[in-house]
Amino acid sequence: MSASFRRLSNRLIGTVPSAPLRRQVLTRGIRATAANNAASNLNMPALSPTMTEGTIGSWKVKEGDEFSAGDVLLEIETDKAQMDVEAQEDGIMAKIMINAGAKAVQVGTRIAVIAEQGDDISALELPAEDNAGPGPKSVDKKSAKKDTTSPPPEDRPAKVESSASSTPDTAQNHATPVTPTTPSPSVAHLLRTHGVSKEDASRIAGTGPKGRLLKGDVLAFLGTIEKGWPKELGSRIAKGGKLDLSNIKIAPPKKKEPAPKKAVEEKKKVEVPRDSELKVEVSFSEVLKVQSKLQATLGVHLPLSSFITKATEKANQNLPASPLPPTAAELFDEILGLPSSGTPKTSRGTFTPQITALPSATFVGSAPSVELDIIDILAGTTAPTPAKKALPPHSGIAATEPNVFSLVVPSIEEARAKVFLEKVKGYLEKDPGSLVL
Amino acid sequence: MLKSFIPRQSRSLLRPLNSGAPSAFYLVPRRGFASETPEHDVIVIGGGPGGYVAAIKAAQEGLKTACIEKRGALGGTCLNVGCIPSKSLLNNSHIYHQILHDVKNLEGVKLNLTQMMKAKETSVSGLTKGIEYLFKKNGVDYIKGTGTLTGENEIKVNPLDGGEAQTYRAKNIIIATGSEATPFPGLEIDEKRVVTSTGAIALTEVPKKMIVIGGGIIGLEMGSVWSRLGAEVTVVEYLGAIGGPGMDADMAKTMQKILSKQGMKFKLNTKVLGGDVNADDIKIKIEAAKGGKEEQLDADVVLVAIGRRPYTSGLGLENVGIETDERGRIVIDQEYRTKIPHIRVIGDVTFGAMLAHKAEEEGIAAVEYISKGHGHVNYGAIPSVMYTHPEAAWVGQTEQEVKATGKPYNIGSFPFSANSRAKTNLDTEGMVKFITDKETDRILGIHIIGPNAGEMIAEGVLALEYGASSEDIGRTSHAHPTLSEAFKEAAMAAYSKPIHA
Repeated sequence: MSASFRRLSNRLIGTVPSAPLRRQVLTRGIRATAANNAASNLNMPALSPTMTEGTIGSWKVKEGDEFSAGDVLLEIETDKAQMDVEAQEDGIMAKIMINAGAKAVQVGTRIAVIAEQGDDISALELPAEDNAGPGPKSVDKKSAKKDTTSPPPEDRPAKVESSASSTPDTAQNHATPVTPTTPSPSVAHLLRTHGVSKEDASRIAGTGPKGRLLKGDVLAFLGTIEKGWPKELGSRIAKGGKLDLSNIKIAPPKKKEPAPKKAVEEKKKVEVPRDSELKVEVSFSEVLKVQSKLQATLGVHLPLSSFITKATEKANQNLPASPLPPTAAELFDEILGLPSSGTPKTSRGTFTPQITALPSATFVGSAPSVELDIIDILAGTTAPTPAKKALPPHSGIAATEPNVFSLVVPSIEEARAKVFLEKVKGYLEKDPGSLVL
Repeated sequence: MLKSFIPRQSRSLLRPLNSGAPSAFYLVPRRGFASETPEHDVIVIGGGPGGYVAAIKAAQEGLKTACIEKRGALGGTCLNVGCIPSKSLLNNSHIYHQILHDVKNLEGVKLNLTQMMKAKETSVSGLTKGIEYLFKKNGVDYIKGTGTLTGENEIKVNPLDGGEAQTYRAKNIIIATGSEATPFPGLEIDEKRVVTSTGAIALTEVPKKMIVIGGGIIGLEMGSVWSRLGAEVTVVEYLGAIGGPGMDADMAKTMQKILSKQGMKFKLNTKVLGGDVNADDIKIKIEAAKGGKEEQLDADVVLVAIGRRPYTSGLGLENVGIETDERGRIVIDQEYRTKIPHIRVIGDVTFGAMLAHKAEEEGIAAVEYISKGHGHVNYGAIPSVMYTHPEAAWVGQTEQEVKATGKPYNIGSFPFSANSRAKTNLDTEGMVKFITDKETDRILGIHIIGPNAGEMIAEGVLALEYGASSEDIGRTSHAHPTLSEAFKEAAMAAYSKPIHA
């Protein structure tokens, strides 16, 4: 977890040509890539290719301070220049290892430890270093982002305990922790009535916006409520503070003008397409003749199923175009010139008939037609129809009697399905020989 | 002050002349069909509450800024045909209604609608001119015309007053083109008898019967205006509650009761099947939303207020490959950037609530992202206000939403009928309702119906912004005798007990 430094050409503050230079010093960037609830080291940056050591002029953040991307963390002096080191990401200064004024700090030496915003810095694992007591809330940070990922909730109970028992590290260079300068009325009241000392109060981690100490934080500290809850609630509320950009459904890259209108109209009079069942009687007598002929001449026994499969296959070719409008995905594929991808839409692609021997015809109607609801229609799902029902066991076919080929399809597909069944019937009854030869 | 903007103004006057003729200084030939102007740091397309605020903020940040507006007046829908004119009508119609009904010893009170409309127009033109003044003061170039994106840094503007199209170049572009009323399929809007909010603020006479399709904020406000002026108003709403989906269910019910008492009629859970516009009336066919027998309503004026949709026509999004979602909203990231990072989008034309003040916040934030690299809008603390009488206002979560999280919560409410000021004002309808987390007492939502609720909600927004608990409010002094005491007492009711109830 090492902090990587971005080498910047001397970046001027402000992107505007006309904006005055705010400072005469050069600005440097630091990127602290910290994982959640894990500290990362901040090492002495090399501010120029030749720099080997430098002096830490001053720290601009104290331990426990939150900072935002762009905030100046510290000033570094070399024999050539004085530069500001900027944070590239939001975070918390967990621990300062080398205090201001230290001279000849070698490049690459760890000078501080940085945690992510929302991390409990007292619960952080610092390699070979003691935890610092959690500092005061940052009071004056401009616009600390609240978009840090929600912290792991389980660290909270441990935190309050550890912070309560940890001793303030007097060796640090920052001022002793202070209570928030203006605790809110309820917080001030609670602290007073419960006799929480200033020192203890300063160790309570605030979960409010920008780390503000809230009534809930004090209650959790006092043990009145569940310790982890204020933090969880805070992150829930913070989540609501962001624009919800999840679930964006991009409009199909087609003409947009007519599309929205149509959608509105369609909503008004959506006809829920119902599935309809089509049946056709097919006699296998011709097939049987061919079958026995083949056995006689070639000595090969072709099962009925292979005739049916072939007929189905052939009948599925060159069916009239599906009346179902293409889906957005299909349109997209078409535009990109891709072969249609994704799961094949059974009712549009190929039909697979269900075959039942006529005597057991009662079985035919038992396949319930699935009614689509409005959500399915909007989502573009079609009824789980034909293909889902695999070919029934062929024992269901009565070789000598007429059999029923049936299909369950959405009503708009009816015409197509009819053509299909007629074709199957034709192939099997007229010229089954051509199917296999 | 005047001096400071004269050079800039004269520069912009000279621009067409400068660039119209081929110049010897151009070494690289440019595409010639439109004339060129110097590059801006920021060009804002749209001069509504989002766009003009962004433009002024950008100029204040020291960026060379222009704002393109095609209406001929700044302020957008809000200022010209939305919030502001409707508030003028609401205010004046309220006064009229009060004099007519509450003042006993007056006779011969008559409505002068022409005068009322004139007052509205005066407010509107005063305010739009005000923005123009602010543009001058801050050095924003005001381009009157229709802007079309022709490149990632290029906008072609067809001037309003005719004339040759001009091409402007900008390092950053902010799209703030707003929204338009969603039309109702099968009912053609003529803005005279079948109207949107735009026509509803400009009727030339009070209709006898008016049907409002859509019981959201716009429908209820405009319905209120014409109801107070004497129209018989029927609101037809598809959902089971008025106020739109963002309104707390309790509040919606209370509001409906109050408005019904004022004479408005409501048909909830009702779907409009279509309408026939005849020479002397309009027939609207309705049916229970869950199916049922068909009914027919007739009216002189039908207000279509079923919502608004993003307005992007003619903007040329397709020229630069910017995407919209299936509802026409331009797709952005958290920093308002489109696919092309220096083109940002704010306000109604993108995601989030369609509110003028939300667009304003985004305008500022978008500019700060450009100038400082960081901007901020807290979407969890954006208030909504409905300017009926009494007003309704809310911020944060509704009780339904809180209930859905499954966590225990407290409710603290206080009626205005127990508030001394409301009582002396004879204006006691409504209440304040706090929803707080049971454990931490942190405020989750505040809902108000009452006189001046729209002003009172500001305190609630501030409370949410600071993560306040109801006790924080309860321990804060509120002046006596004011309506705001009801706010404090409701807070007290949430964590303890109110004094006056």
